[in-house]
Amino acid sequence: MALNLRIDPFTPQRSTLYLEGRLDAISFGEFDKQADKVLEQMNTGSTLVLDLSALDYISSAGLRSIAKARKAMRARDGQTLLVNPQVQVRKVFDIVKAVPVNEIFQNVRELDDYLDRIQRRVLHEGEELE
Amino acid sequence: MSLRSLAWRLALWVLAGAALVFVASGYLLFHLVGKQLLQQAQRESAALASQGSSLVQLRLNDITNTTRVLAAVIEPRPRNAASLIHDALADNADLAGLAAAFVPGSTAAQEAGQSPFVDRQSDGTLAHRDLFKDPQPYWNATWFQQGLVCNQGCWHPVFWSQSRHRLLVSYSAPMQADDNTIGVVNADVTLDWLQGVLLSMHLPAGTHAFVMDQQGRYLANDAVEQVGKEAQTTLLSQLSAPSLPEYANAHRLNLQGERAWMYDQPIAGTQWKFAVVVPEELIYAQVRHAFMSVLVLGALTILLLGLIVMITIRRTLAPLGVLAERAELVARGALDFALPRVRRHDEVGRLTHAFDRMRLELAAHLEELTRVAQEQARLASELDIAQQIQTALLPGPHYLDARCQNFELFAVLKPARSVGGDLYSYFMLPNQRFCFMVGDVADKGIPAALFMARTITLAKAMASRAQSPQHLLQLINDELCRNNDSCMFVTLLCGFLDVATGYMTLASAGHDPPVLWGNQAPRWLPVTSGSALGLDEAASFPAIRVRLKPGDTLLMYTDGVTEAASKTLEQYGGERLLARLGQFHDATDGTGPRDPTKFLVEDIEAFSAGHGQSDDIALLALRWNHAGLDKGTLMLDLVFPATLEKVFDTLNLCAETLHEAGIRTDVRADVRLVLEELMVNMVHHGNLHGSERTIGLRMMIIDEAVLVELNHDGAPFDPLQFGSPTLTGDLADREDDGGLGIHLVRAMSSELNYTHDEDGNHLQLRFANPTEHGHGT
Repeated sequence: MALNLRIDPFTPQRSTLYLEGRLDAISFGEFDKQADKVLEQMNTGSTLVLDLSALDYISSAGLRSIAKARKAMRARDGQTLLVNPQVQVRKVFDIVKAVPVNEIFQNVRELDDYLDRIQRRVLHEGEELE
Repeated sequence: MSLRSLAWRLALWVLAGAALVFVASGYLLFHLVGKQLLQQAQRESAALASQGSSLVQLRLNDITNTTRVLAAVIEPRPRNAASLIHDALADNADLAGLAAAFVPGSTAAQEAGQSPFVDRQSDGTLAHRDLFKDPQPYWNATWFQQGLVCNQGCWHPVFWSQSRHRLLVSYSAPMQADDNTIGVVNADVTLDWLQGVLLSMHLPAGTHAFVMDQQGRYLANDAVEQVGKEAQTTLLSQLSAPSLPEYANAHRLNLQGERAWMYDQPIAGTQWKFAVVVPEELIYAQVRHAFMSVLVLGALTILLLGLIVMITIRRTLAPLGVLAERAELVARGALDFALPRVRRHDEVGRLTHAFDRMRLELAAHLEELTRVAQEQARLASELDIAQQIQTALLPGPHYLDARCQNFELFAVLKPARSVGGDLYSYFMLPNQRFCFMVGDVADKGIPAALFMARTITLAKAMASRAQSPQHLLQLINDELCRNNDSCMFVTLLCGFLDVATGYMTLASAGHDPPVLWGNQAPRWLPVTSGSALGLDEAASFPAIRVRLKPGDTLLMYTDGVTEAASKTLEQYGGERLLARLGQFHDATDGTGPRDPTKFLVEDIEAFSAGHGQSDDIALLALRWNHAGLDKGTLMLDLVFPATLEKVFDTLNLCAETLHEAGIRTDVRADVRLVLEELMVNMVHHGNLHGSERTIGLRMMIIDEAVLVELNHDGAPFDPLQFGSPTLTGDLADREDDGGLGIHLVRAMSSELNYTHDEDGNHLQLRFANPTEHGHGT
């Protein structure tokens, strides 16, 4: 199997998908199946993190799968964040402008900082409203 | 006037003719006149003789008559004899003496008493003597005895008178009475007198005359010393010989070697002869004189004739000489000169007129010629410029694929005139395609050159739009058919070469097939030809696809090569072309490549030496070296069914191969991505009718590049025809998700080249693989 998937943690509020190997025309089906299972259980406004640090390769089929996942998350007002894409994968993303730049993070800490900021802003807004 | 001039020759011939006629007629004349002159001289000499004879006879007649009269007078009166003879002597000066001798004892003698004799003394006085008293009795003397018996009187021989000391000759006449002779009257004349008579004749100079008695003694002779002497016996014998038959009384003499003619005439009343001697010299002198006169006259005549002829001819032909000089002027190009005045309208006059007209027309013609020459020079310079322009249309005669030296190209264009209708061209097209062509416009010269320029320009303009050579031919054909009222057409052989792989597609529009050699002996490539360009708008052009092997050479040519003619009008021909190329191939095998077009052009020139080039010649040779293969490695050459499984197997294989080849990771990933996108597309879109399709993949590595060739026998699919997808920055915004793969392919590959033909789709890809030290990672 060219693609390995691991889901950790898997919570309705925030799930992370670890991709390892190649996401291409032969493996995108597997990815879609796994992603669908995760997406079904995500809450509104939740966050899906795709950890790409182990993804060696992505082709247009894989891009389409990721785009599909992002659409699904968008439908739940959630967000899809990409973490640590390798050079090659990042190049493909850049070429097709697959994802807004601010949704790609170099590592998990950046992601966590980002998510904390979001969290605080939400709380702050909540206080103001109250 | 030189000796070679016409006038001289004419004069010379006329004079020679005249001289010949003159000599011939002179010779004849001389013969006739000479004979007549001779006869006349004979007659004159004979007349002279008879005249002399008559003269002497006349004078002698005086003597004889006187004597006879005396005899008759004295006979009856003998007594008066003395006084009678005295008176008679005194009266007649011719006589030297007179005697009346009577027969002694006769009555007359008695009556006379004497025989009187009177003679003339040297002082002129007359002396008287009686003969009776002479101591010697005269009656015994011969003259008396003979005188008595010759009744008619007779002359006696010469005798020397002692008393008078001179030679005398006497005549005696008898005195007769009654048949009885009583005596003799004797008359003496001196030979001196006779000599005087002879000399009074005034003989012509050189002639001699003499009087000779019956004994052959000279009585008179113009040579005085001969008088009284005997003539020479030879003369006498010749004289007594019979005279010549043609001339009376003429004798031919030979006196001491001197030839002479003698004419004799008897003197009547005597037994003497009168003779004239004329030396032959004298007679012929006249003839010779006449001849000399004729000769001198003739020479003068000829001289005069020559002068007249010369003057006439010179005067007549003088204009000819002037015309000849003027003609030489004409030959040197000078036409402005005076011609001789025309005196009369004879041949020379007509010639002069004609010459004048000729000069005028020549001048006009020269002017025209100069104008035409200028026009031609202008045309020639325009042609030169046209040739330069045409040459500028052609790419160079040698092209070496500089990037990878995969192929080398040689080309030659040799127009038969300044400009021609043959063409060759080649140029790179995008996507590693190399387009080359050779063409031949019908007709030659400027129209063909213009059409050629149009064709070559169209070809270059259309080529980037063309997918294949057959497509290019169609595009050119469409353009050329437009407004082609002059029905010009061009045959064109066009090829597209994939410079990476050596795949070559050829299409022909009515052109001769190309020759291929290298791994095999030279042979024709069987290109099925369409119709020539410019004639049929609906024409289509089948193509053939050939894979060139390293070392192969393709030669394209025009019919100027095969139809080159030798001096014997033999054609160069296709078989010879193949044979020559075979020789060329064998000769250059191993010694390195040489230019086959140069070799062929030299061979054709040698073949058609003496006949000249009659048609344009264009040659294009393409040698496929495939240097890329030598430097790099063909790593994969696969054909597999178009299924996803096989595609991914192949992708893995490629990845491994590239990894083993040490290709950089990022390049490997690019290659994988592009190949995946393309092959997945082929699997998804190519298997239209469900039939099994195959994908061919060839991968090779050359300097700093990975070359991949994909061949798919499915439906035509040109990845380049799609535009770039709209990219919003988020794929999730997109309604449709197509076009991403192709976008990636284009972005990832350094070069991408697509062709489609009857074998399907052909994609050539190139990925830059910069070396580590060159670029770094």
